[in-house]
Amino acid sequence: MLQREKKSFFNAKECMKHYLLTILCLLFIFVDHCPAEEMDIDTLMQQVEEALNGKTAQMNLTMRVKTSRLERTIKMESYSVGKDKSFIKITYPRKDTGVTFLKIDNAMWQYVPRIERVIKIPASMMLQSWMGSDFTNDDLVRESSIADDYHCKLIEKGDEYLVELIPKEDAPVVWGKLLMWISKEHLIPTKVRYFDEENQPVRVLFYNEFKKFGDKMYPSKWVMENETIEKKGNQTIMEITEAVFDQPVADHYFTKRALKQFSQ
Amino acid sequence: MIPWKLVLKNIRGYRKRSVVTVVLSAITTALLVFSSAIMDGSHNTMIKNAVEIYPGYMQITHRDFRDTPGYENLIFDLDSLRRSLANIPDIAAYGARFETYVLYSTEARSVGGMLTGIEPRAEKQLSRMASSLYEGEYLDDEDGAVVYIGFELAKRLKVGIGDELAFIGNGADYSMAADVVTVKGTFRTGLFDFDASAAFMNKRYLDEVMVSRNMATHVIVLPANVEDCGKIEDRINQEVGGDNVAESWFRTMASLVQAMKLDSVFGYITLGIIFIVIFFVIMIYTLLTVYARVREVGVMRAIGTTPWGIFVMLVSESVLLSLVGVLLGGLLGACVAYYFYLNPMEFAGYEEQFKQYNMVATAIPADFAPLVIARDMLIMFVLCVCSTLYPILRLNRYRPMDAIRHV
Repeated sequence: MLQREKKSFFNAKECMKHYLLTILCLLFIFVDHCPAEEMDIDTLMQQVEEALNGKTAQMNLTMRVKTSRLERTIKMESYSVGKDKSFIKITYPRKDTGVTFLKIDNAMWQYVPRIERVIKIPASMMLQSWMGSDFTNDDLVRESSIADDYHCKLIEKGDEYLVELIPKEDAPVVWGKLLMWISKEHLIPTKVRYFDEENQPVRVLFYNEFKKFGDKMYPSKWVMENETIEKKGNQTIMEITEAVFDQPVADHYFTKRALKQFSQ
Repeated sequence: MIPWKLVLKNIRGYRKRSVVTVVLSAITTALLVFSSAIMDGSHNTMIKNAVEIYPGYMQITHRDFRDTPGYENLIFDLDSLRRSLANIPDIAAYGARFETYVLYSTEARSVGGMLTGIEPRAEKQLSRMASSLYEGEYLDDEDGAVVYIGFELAKRLKVGIGDELAFIGNGADYSMAADVVTVKGTFRTGLFDFDASAAFMNKRYLDEVMVSRNMATHVIVLPANVEDCGKIEDRINQEVGGDNVAESWFRTMASLVQAMKLDSVFGYITLGIIFIVIFFVIMIYTLLTVYARVREVGVMRAIGTTPWGIFVMLVSESVLLSLVGVLLGGLLGACVAYYFYLNPMEFAGYEEQFKQYNMVATAIPADFAPLVIARDMLIMFVLCVCSTLYPILRLNRYRPMDAIRHV
């Protein structure tokens, strides 16, 4: 009797175990199949940043700057670790070959072979155009701190996520607002529109032509269009010709000595 | 018909009243003339300072440069523009500038600022840069990698004469432009922000670094007579045409001109309040003196003088007294204005306050403009005469018998 009771008790226990396991499996499957819609906005933005920056990235890029007067092509190599360290070397045109940039956290240095000097870019120059493009020095340094500097609000969940980013009160940000459209598939932005403090659109950045670089899908063409009346029509196109993600990048790129050393 | 003999007799007869009226009108006129001279003088000094230190009396730029300064809106055919300017008479001098923003760097620190390529010899006539030399030497047309730098900027970068500094910026083709230059001289205009951010180089050399040959951001023009700025501006715009446009200082410094106008309005409002007080003082005084003559007027009416005749006589007295007062006052005010025109007023110790108005000098001369003095005298004359009309009209309303019995 006791044995029978004991057996039925164990059977019930087994049943419960199976039942719980099934629920857990279902839950797991459910979570796995609706990733972002149910996740909170902070997690989403964190994932977007990670997807955009990668753990490490080594790229060859071609930047084309188009203005109403002229068109200019610049080629460069880029090495980065997360969002905090990056090193860029200009390889074309000949006049600018060997110019190197180093970014560590929020600081930025530049080496110009013609004058053989390493120069720290001061905070007051952060909004200056980078290499004559529609990108600024600030874009290189601060763009990656979206999760830290902005209040994020998911305002649409259609084909893409549309996220509104409002700067935090104490954030060192020049924009009044950002609107970011994020691909649900890749969790990478497809478009970012920048507004000034008077809520006027200033520029828009498109992340186009997603390609597979190793295992990673990544936008291979970034197009920055100026939306101000004065510079309407100006455009900067950044094309990633080669990219390797999440492979070790030598630490020696991220020292001031590297600016001169790798300038050659 | 004006009874001049009677008018003069009355003026002499009521000597005390006449003297007081003349003195009141004279002092008021002298004050107005002097106030206008000082106000206009200070405004002229501010404008002269602001215009002559750096911007110049007339600027030629690409038509969109003022709204959107940048390499898209440069003067792209400088040589052709020079040829056009050479054919225009009444231009004393002109010179090109290429203004750009760069990052200056020394071992000590990096500082962002303005770097301008100038034509040193021409610039001597166009601005006060050469005369603002503080240490070392001003630039020369043959200079190469040397820089003439603001005193405060040199301090920020911790460089002196003969020291080297580097700069990096964007060339006109948006390539990286950089060079190492030696400090040849420092300047001190007294305008802190300008002295703390500006430096100059020989344009011919800077053009090589910035890839800006035959380009300029501005061409500065000095008319032979600065009063003719408007005419020369029109002439240049007819000759030059195309994408470039000439603008006189009253357009390029429109905000300053507006500020001066606003300041003048406030000045005239203050003077206006004073005039209203003076108007009533003269009117009340005239009222008292006229009422003292009620019986006299009654007698004149009784012997057949018409009200119009009385009116003409009293107004003529007022006109004569006002005329004498205004002439004396105008002369006095003009003399004082002329003295301070030759010997400007010194405001030592107020340098900081003056800098807020772009004034580097603390001496303010009065403006001696005969036409303005004549205008002020006319205003005062009309005011003085008008202030006596009401008392005269009231007096004329008396009937002869009432006037004779008036106590």
